[in-house]
Amino acid sequence: MTSSSRKKKDKKKDFQKPKLKVGKTRPKAANSTNTSFKAKSIALKQQSLSTVAPTLEAQCAHHLGLLNHKSDAQRRESLAYLTTAMMNNPPMAALPQPPSVIIPTAQRLILDGSNNVRQQLLKLLQSLPQPDIASHADQLLLHARAAMTHLANEIKVFGLDVLEWLLGVAGDEVVSCAGGWVKMLKCFLNLLGWQSEATSKWSAPKSYGKADSKIQSRQITVLTAFLRAGLFHAQAVTSIVPNGNNFPLWQTEHHVVSDRSNAFANLNLFGATRDEEAEMYEDREDRQRVFHDRAEAAVATGLEQATKGGGELGRAAAQLRKVIKEGMADFYREEITVS
Amino acid sequence: MAKRKVAALEKVDADHAALQYKLKRDPQSYRDDFINQYNQYETLRELFLQNPSSADSGLIALKSLIEFISHVADRYPDLTSDFPNQLAELLLQHHEVLEYELRDKIVGSIVLLRNKDVIDSTVLLNTLFPILVSTPSKSLRQLLFTKILSDLRSSNVKTTNHKLNRTIQTVLYNLLESDKQSPKGLWAVKITRELWKRQIWTDARAVEVMRLAALSDNEKVITGGVRFFLGGDKEREEAADDTDDDEDVDIARLRHQVGINKKSKKNQRDLRKATVTVKKKEKKKNAPHPLNFSALHLLHDPQGFAETLFSKHVQNSKAKLQLESKLLVLQLVSRLVGLHKLTVLSLYSYFLKHLTPRQASVTSYLACLAQATHQYVPPDALEPLVQKIANGFVSEASASEVAAAGLNAIREICARQPLAMTDTLLQDLVQYRKSKDKGTMMAAKGLLSLYREVGADLLHKRDRGKDAAMGIRAGTIKERRYGEQAVGEIEGIELLEKWKEEERRKKREAAGLDPDVDDGEEMDEGEDWKNWDVESDADSDDSGGWINVESDGEDIQISDSEDEKDKSKSKSKEPPAKKRKLGSTTPAPTDATDEKENSKSIEPEIKSISKLLTTTILTPADLKQLRALQEASSISSALPSHKRAQLLAQRHADEAITAETIEAAASLGKKNTKEEKIAMAKGDRETNHQSTTAKRKEKKVAEGKSTTNKEKARKKNFMMTLGKAKSKNKRSLTQVKRTLAGHIDRSKRGGKRGNKGN
Repeated sequence: MTSSSRKKKDKKKDFQKPKLKVGKTRPKAANSTNTSFKAKSIALKQQSLSTVAPTLEAQCAHHLGLLNHKSDAQRRESLAYLTTAMMNNPPMAALPQPPSVIIPTAQRLILDGSNNVRQQLLKLLQSLPQPDIASHADQLLLHARAAMTHLANEIKVFGLDVLEWLLGVAGDEVVSCAGGWVKMLKCFLNLLGWQSEATSKWSAPKSYGKADSKIQSRQITVLTAFLRAGLFHAQAVTSIVPNGNNFPLWQTEHHVVSDRSNAFANLNLFGATRDEEAEMYEDREDRQRVFHDRAEAAVATGLEQATKGGGELGRAAAQLRKVIKEGMADFYREEITVS
Repeated sequence: MAKRKVAALEKVDADHAALQYKLKRDPQSYRDDFINQYNQYETLRELFLQNPSSADSGLIALKSLIEFISHVADRYPDLTSDFPNQLAELLLQHHEVLEYELRDKIVGSIVLLRNKDVIDSTVLLNTLFPILVSTPSKSLRQLLFTKILSDLRSSNVKTTNHKLNRTIQTVLYNLLESDKQSPKGLWAVKITRELWKRQIWTDARAVEVMRLAALSDNEKVITGGVRFFLGGDKEREEAADDTDDDEDVDIARLRHQVGINKKSKKNQRDLRKATVTVKKKEKKKNAPHPLNFSALHLLHDPQGFAETLFSKHVQNSKAKLQLESKLLVLQLVSRLVGLHKLTVLSLYSYFLKHLTPRQASVTSYLACLAQATHQYVPPDALEPLVQKIANGFVSEASASEVAAAGLNAIREICARQPLAMTDTLLQDLVQYRKSKDKGTMMAAKGLLSLYREVGADLLHKRDRGKDAAMGIRAGTIKERRYGEQAVGEIEGIELLEKWKEEERRKKREAAGLDPDVDDGEEMDEGEDWKNWDVESDADSDDSGGWINVESDGEDIQISDSEDEKDKSKSKSKEPPAKKRKLGSTTPAPTDATDEKENSKSIEPEIKSISKLLTTTILTPADLKQLRALQEASSISSALPSHKRAQLLAQRHADEAITAETIEAAASLGKKNTKEEKIAMAKGDRETNHQSTTAKRKEKKVAEGKSTTNKEKARKKNFMMTLGKAKSKNKRSLTQVKRTLAGHIDRSKRGGKRGNKGN
């Protein structure tokens, strides 16, 4: 635009390429910053001078710490490491880290946002020795419940997976822990939309983010497993000790201190007072009664509709109906005899 | 699959907002979803309660759930009945270990619940206040403080919420009373002061809280309370002024802009808001001024308060207050003593110990002493003090500032209690008016002029001045005894009386009657009442209707015992007439009672004045006239010293004396530095000069107003004009001709638009 030659020259100068010559140092850019500094001494904060590799225990502890890492890839890696460590452990040797350390740190990943992390977590949980799970059942159950009521469908489904696994491993603990029975029933009824307090006979509007039939059938299946655990007799009855062995003592097993952790949890000596929902229902009869009082009618109406739907949903519903029928069979008989 | 994967957590957040929106529109249909979310919240809460100090990812979910539920809690009151309690409990029990974002979120949620009327203010404040006084976190305290204040303000907006105010005041009072040692009481002080400043709390209970604060054991709390009494009212006035000034909206302009600019809902809303504020302002302008008593006047038992303050914080040798705080307390004590005219005798002996030139911030002590002096302080208590100041400060050997300060302090003391001075001392001090230092000289002159007014007989004869000497000779100036009260009077009442008399005479003359005879008094009286609120002009038309009720005018009068006597002697309608005759202009009256009055009229005028006040009620019109007369007389009468003394007395009545007052005299003689002189000469003149046109133009631009075409042409970029200029040269002859013809035509028509149409 301008006619002045000086300005034109100036403009040209801006875009000139610097000439590079072989054997000479490269000219510095105009905006380069000198980052070198001088110091009298440099202190290293920590320094590892050991020549041996860290032990398996230490590495496991390190990876446990990494479970909080912000990158989900890292979390998954750490879980994978822990899983392989558990798997490769020789059968009779002690685990590199006890489950009482692993479970509390790992369990909150049940609510993790990334699917891969969650799947890996389930693998880790499955690799843990089964008897140790039982004492952490209530914690895991809480997390599973949180996952089941989550807004995201993926997490909902994963919550069901965890619950199913948990029922398989420690079904009795799950149904008898504090709040484990009533709250779970309520939660299921909510999820399936089978509230007993549903007032109107009109079909309910399709609610926000409601599960499709696939999720629903899955929910019914897990509910079936849950009810089976709660309403049926515990399979593993206390080991039958031959009476002749300790002759003068009868029924020793009832007098020794229980080998379960927190054996007197039902007394609730130190916790806050519980209401009906948070109460522990350790007896099968109790659970039957509560189920009858709170949920049976709602489940029945819900089942009716689900069965009509047919398909996968209908099959799951039929299973559930069967379980309820079997589980509640002796309850009715009792009631009849009483009245 | 180039689509970006959305992490579950991100999705959840989006979902909460969307769900919240839907819930608010149709709560019934989404009830199930809400129940699910509420269950989720309860589960997470249970998990959280097992380890409240943890900072893992579950917190984010919990935080967003809490926010979500508190936003929609008012739609499901049956489901969320214990949600507020849970939040309060969470906060109360774990506020120390909670992760700070979650903590702030919980506080915000509780306040939100209060704003949605799910909980009431008492519950909210009972939750927040205990945390405010106990939490170690500064940011939380700040947050809670603002929340508490804003809630108190908002619940007092429409009407004063007496119940809530009383509860909170009781809480604050109890906080101060329960633990006098702890600095927690500072919060009570802060809250009370803030609410006092905003005129939300204006009653004696708030003052009582501050009284307790001033009597506590913690230094911060003490100074907070004392500072409130010393400066709270001024702060309140300033705050009131501030609110009047800001938000000057030009409604006409806004309306104009709405007409022109693109229509948007926001603009409409702004306009509506502006209209409301303007209306509110109008209303406020017309509203009567709120009657707010100063905190010092609302105190119960000021004597007890002053005594305990003094003995506990100042006199007590165990009190470990800093000098600054001690001075503050002393200021408050002396202010109370001066204002309520209390008697705290030990105060003066305390001053005796501290009035040495070497004492730190001695001018403050001097100011306090002056402030604590009033007419009921026994002169025996003050005499040694004045003597000590004179000995310690005022001497040839001491520095000029010290002497000036000393003299000034003595004058301030003696202005309040003139009897504190002995004649020998006064005559000595007055000699300093010959001093070379200007400050000292002025201070001594001040003392002299003061004593010419209040106690001229203490001065040498030659120092008394004309007025005082004549007054003493005539016997009109008398020394006031200890505890003697001045007779209350209205300034300029005699002027009003004189004026009324003249008006009456004029009217009678106009009516063709003898101005000195008083027959038509009653009519006069009636018209006075008629002219209740009008500028009382003499030629008002005759009275008609129910306004002119003559007997009323008499019924209202307040009768003296003396008046009663007169009444018994004369006819019932006479007394209001009499007081007029007492005026100086009244010549010989006619009937018997009047003769008797005449004999009395030799008596001093004061009596007659009191009669005018006791026999009539001054109407607003009268008061207006009185004010006008006062102003006229003040302009005409040139009595500088007299006036100055009066001004001085007025100032002394209700204002505080500070160290600056005492130091002022000393600064008189001080030479200014060059910089100060330059700054003074420059004053507040503006630095860069601008022509009026330029200023106007700048203003126009700033207001965003349009410019003329001429201006636009002038401002046009030069490069853009080139093309047109070039093409101008290339025009054909016909084109040039057309242009010229157009030019001539336009000039004939008078411009483009012409001037005949309009």
